[in-house]
Amino acid sequence: MGVLVIVGTDKGAFLLRSDTARAHWKIQGPLFKGWKVTTVARDDSGRYFVATASDVYGQALHVSEDLDNWRQIENGPAWAKDTERKLNQIWTLNLQTSRFYAGVDEAGLFGSEDRGESWSPIEGLNEHPTRDSWYPGAGGLCAHAVLTDAKNPKRIWCGISAVGVFRSDDGGLTWEIKNQGIPMVIEDKQHQDIGRCVHGLVADPDDANTIYRREHNGMFRTRDGGETWQRIENGLDSSFGFPIVIDRTSKTLYIIPLESDEYRIPIDGRFRVYRSGNGGDTWDPLSNGLPQENAYMGVLRDALAVDHLDPCGVYVGTTAGTVHVSNDAGDSWTQVSCILPRILSVSVYVQE
Amino acid sequence: MPQVTVQLPSILGRIIDESQAIPIEADSLGGALRALVDRHPALGVHLFDETGNLRQHVLCFHNQTNTRWLDSIEAPLAKGDTITILQAVSGG
Repeated sequence: MGVLVIVGTDKGAFLLRSDTARAHWKIQGPLFKGWKVTTVARDDSGRYFVATASDVYGQALHVSEDLDNWRQIENGPAWAKDTERKLNQIWTLNLQTSRFYAGVDEAGLFGSEDRGESWSPIEGLNEHPTRDSWYPGAGGLCAHAVLTDAKNPKRIWCGISAVGVFRSDDGGLTWEIKNQGIPMVIEDKQHQDIGRCVHGLVADPDDANTIYRREHNGMFRTRDGGETWQRIENGLDSSFGFPIVIDRTSKTLYIIPLESDEYRIPIDGRFRVYRSGNGGDTWDPLSNGLPQENAYMGVLRDALAVDHLDPCGVYVGTTAGTVHVSNDAGDSWTQVSCILPRILSVSVYVQE
Repeated sequence: MPQVTVQLPSILGRIIDESQAIPIEADSLGGALRALVDRHPALGVHLFDETGNLRQHVLCFHNQTNTRWLDSIEAPLAKGDTITILQAVSGG
């Protein structure tokens, strides 16, 4: 058994491999040299999906069964000509139900019923009555987070920046806004219930109604599927940040706070991951082995991952191109011996 | 139809797992680009945007002529012509 980490960067993807001790890493790559690798996922059958983008040549979705032979999907997510929208990149892939989902910029959600070979727009969200009042955040107008309910595939959540969270209870036909309790960042005169800047979403693996929400203005939790949200910031020295992950074995949460939306760097140059073992009630900083002086790199929303082993491995990729790994649930960290291009995404897979 | 060569940048050649120099038979510049995408559908999304036009930062030369300055992309081709796809400097 081994562990594979796929690091997506501004200039391609890199494969980091180790045994389950996760102490020594072999590095291979780049795959898709020269392309942004915006997100990576693997479905239950073991098929890998890599989303690429280029400021010059546009975006695409690629699949492989073996990580060696890749094929570009010809009927990937695409806006129709009459929408006058541009599909700039795929931000996220959710492959956990029989219908796969892709969240994209310019914001929208697409679904695939055939393992990713063809994709159709989820019209109920993409043409939502509030659509004309959707405004972009600093990272663009992007649908970057999709949650599904394993017990009820008709329930779907989608996070869009800087609009907020939407939920469908009917398989994507209709969507309701779920922003109650979340501060507004962009006010729209007509629609007071949007204009929220969600940064990241994860759900409790056993209870889809419990969702943790990284937000522009704080760290929040819902226990009722998004009907109401409460702040959970006890122990945090900053409520701003992007990525959030949850270990499905221990249900431990990990986040990486940054200093305010103005600065977006580690506070005082101390690079720390924060951990919560009680569902976000309290947070503790982790710094053993992480740079604690003159460290001013950021971590983007898809650049934090966990491997769900016991103890859980935690993986961080930074905008400075460094990769930091913990093989003991965050108690201690080592830096992998590489300096990669700016890291956009990190995903991890346990291989038999 | 005259045979011409479409020269791709390496970053696109890798996508289709083929040589960067692709022989194409076509009567016109537009016909050559359509034939290229017919043969390699994966290139379509990388060369053309949602409006069907060449992407903003993609340059296309017919021999030494930037095709942006042509009145029509249906300019006739002659045997041995070269169509070169490049990344525009405006792309960064």
